[in-house]
Amino acid sequence: MNIKRIFVVAHKEWREIVRDRLFFSLAFIVPAFLMILFGYGISMDVEDIPFVVMDQDGSRMSRDYSYRFIDSRYFDFKGYVHDEHTLTLLLTDNKVRAAIIIPEHFQKDLLNGRPVHVQTLIDGTFPFRAQTTKGYVTAINAAMSRELLAGYLSRTRGIPIERARGIVRPVRLEVRYLYNQSVKSIWSVAPKLIMVIMMLSPPFLTALGVVREKESGSIYNIYASTVRRGEFLLGKLVPYVGISTMNMFILWLMATKLYGAPFKGQVSFFVPASILYVICTTGIGLVASVFVRTQIAAIIVTVILTMIPAVLYSGCLIPIPSLSGQAQTIAHMLPAMYYTNIVMGSFLKGVGLKSLWPNVLILAGYATILFTIGFSLFTKRPRS
Amino acid sequence: MIMKKGNILSKTAIWLLRLRVMTVKELLQLSRDFILIFFVVYAFTVDIYSAGAGVTLQLNKAATVFHDNDRSFASRELISRFQEPHFSLKGEILHPSEGLRLLDKDKAMIVLDIPPRFQESLLEGEPVSVQLQVDATNSVLGFLAASYGEQIVGEFGLEAGLKRLGMSASGAETLPMIKDDHRVWFNPNQNDAWFMSITELLNIITVFAILLPAAAMVREKERGTVEQLLVSPLTPFQIMVPKMLAMTMVILAGTAVSLFAVMEPVFHVPIKGSVLLFFLVTTLYILNTAGLGLFAATIARNLAQVGMLTVLIVAPMIFLSGAWTPPEAMVPWMRLFMYMSPLHYYIDSCLGILLKGAGLDILWDSVLIMVLLGSTVFGLGMWRFRRQFS
Repeated sequence: MNIKRIFVVAHKEWREIVRDRLFFSLAFIVPAFLMILFGYGISMDVEDIPFVVMDQDGSRMSRDYSYRFIDSRYFDFKGYVHDEHTLTLLLTDNKVRAAIIIPEHFQKDLLNGRPVHVQTLIDGTFPFRAQTTKGYVTAINAAMSRELLAGYLSRTRGIPIERARGIVRPVRLEVRYLYNQSVKSIWSVAPKLIMVIMMLSPPFLTALGVVREKESGSIYNIYASTVRRGEFLLGKLVPYVGISTMNMFILWLMATKLYGAPFKGQVSFFVPASILYVICTTGIGLVASVFVRTQIAAIIVTVILTMIPAVLYSGCLIPIPSLSGQAQTIAHMLPAMYYTNIVMGSFLKGVGLKSLWPNVLILAGYATILFTIGFSLFTKRPRS
Repeated sequence: MIMKKGNILSKTAIWLLRLRVMTVKELLQLSRDFILIFFVVYAFTVDIYSAGAGVTLQLNKAATVFHDNDRSFASRELISRFQEPHFSLKGEILHPSEGLRLLDKDKAMIVLDIPPRFQESLLEGEPVSVQLQVDATNSVLGFLAASYGEQIVGEFGLEAGLKRLGMSASGAETLPMIKDDHRVWFNPNQNDAWFMSITELLNIITVFAILLPAAAMVREKERGTVEQLLVSPLTPFQIMVPKMLAMTMVILAGTAVSLFAVMEPVFHVPIKGSVLLFFLVTTLYILNTAGLGLFAATIARNLAQVGMLTVLIVAPMIFLSGAWTPPEAMVPWMRLFMYMSPLHYYIDSCLGILLKGAGLDILWDSVLIMVLLGSTVFGLGMWRFRRQFS
């Protein structure tokens, strides 16, 4: 290993990157742009669900009942409909996501102390939104039921209404949301976005950088030179690790300043751990670039290989424990999950090396393995 | 007259022949990049499978621990109601700090805390609170956990209250209450695999539809082979369109494979509507989206730039497509962008055809807007391309 030669290769690569103005600026624009896009674009909050009401009773009580939905910020009232055909059409055409059907004799039955069945139709195309909608509907129905029941008890048994309310709801549930007290999606999403974007961008840049030389044939200069393969690969990767580390810093700033995500951990732990992660993902690009011959293949391989694992198997959208057994195994085999633990620990939980060291260790192991594979498969004598 | 007609015929024949030859050339070139083909196949099979399998955004066996300060019949009854499928009881803790430690280590998601004198208060009719600590790192699941917890506690409380009045809980049939009768349409079990695999397929189609033709074009530029094409009698249209045709064929084949070899047999995605319509809409979408790729190809000078530009185009398309964030939950200016994304209309149509069994009578407006948007971009790309090479 000759430091000078590594430096020369790195310098050459750096000049090449900088001179391709469009590429150079995109290398910084794309991650920041993704951060803005994902940050503002992904909202897991389910609000303003468009819905219609089919009121077959048309009484005072049925209107009161519909107003509980109409006034709720979770629902967005799109009007009354009068027949089931229209209702089906609206649901099929994505115009509404839910419909409430109030049966005939709604008021009469309730006043006579009989239960009524209110049907709610929910569009299940987007499963998690359907789940959340169901939760809202159940909560509104439960609140209404309690009031009806309290009123009924106070009328029939002569209990004061206040006491009757206590009887129908003796136990209250106090919910405390930990780590993200306001359940704001952006807080929990912003730190994870750093993980996702840094999983996508470094392999992409790196693979392109190496394969470009292969495809254009300029790599024969390297084959014929005194540079050893280790020196070449290291020199080649240094600029990309540098760019990605800069990006990491920019994303960190965006997460804390733009999105106001709290950073409770220590910088002295987070920075080295993040650089380790960048090295790791750069290694993915290195391994990919050894296998492919064309740049187009390099683009597709890195995008396909990193996208799904980064988003779905990293604990970004779905916590690892709620994945199925097989998916959990996949998640444990990929580096993204370990860095998610580090980001989430550093941002929201404020824990440091003491409880996160296994993750750091695994990332280091990952980087070593990737670089070993890349190094051993890269040959200066191309197979013909 | 006859001469002229023959002339036109032979001209058309030549035109078609050129188109065919060029398309075959593109297919051949593609098929010789073995790794590329491998990953195209991978994307349409393994990738779709991994998107659909095992990934769920439902509260599924959330690890729950409890701290029972009362140890009475009532407290045990309440705890036992936190059951699968939503919750999974992982045992008792003896001190609140242990609960926090488990939450910190991600060993538990929920800590249920029952206060002392819980049963006594219930029997005496005093109000009492139980505490639920939820790890809301994932806000969707945090919300769902609280919502299910509220349901369980509410029902429990109601039953206990009625019992105290000497009415049994089953007597609720004779009480004025709203019975919640919800039905989920189009995906009754909220099977995430359906949604995940379909949207992933549409995303992959988008990536390939933009990337493959753009890359095929820029590769010719980068290597200089475009000069050969330009001195040939081919028109820019005849150079461009075969690339798109070839890639469309590849993508359609991939789509068929993932629909009939992965999504239908493995995930049991119900194909309710017309398969023909699905492929027709898909073809339209691919051709339209390829216009975006063409546009990118006219800007980029090398493949690295094409790659970056593609990411710059595809990522917003996917994220503003309405698949992850519904239009109603978006910031208004974002919603505006969403209405400009052809993928939004494509997803609407495909989910409509596959899950809801919708036909053209319902989807015509989405398809129409998609085509209009697509042809505008396509026209723009073609115009820039002609200008560059004429």
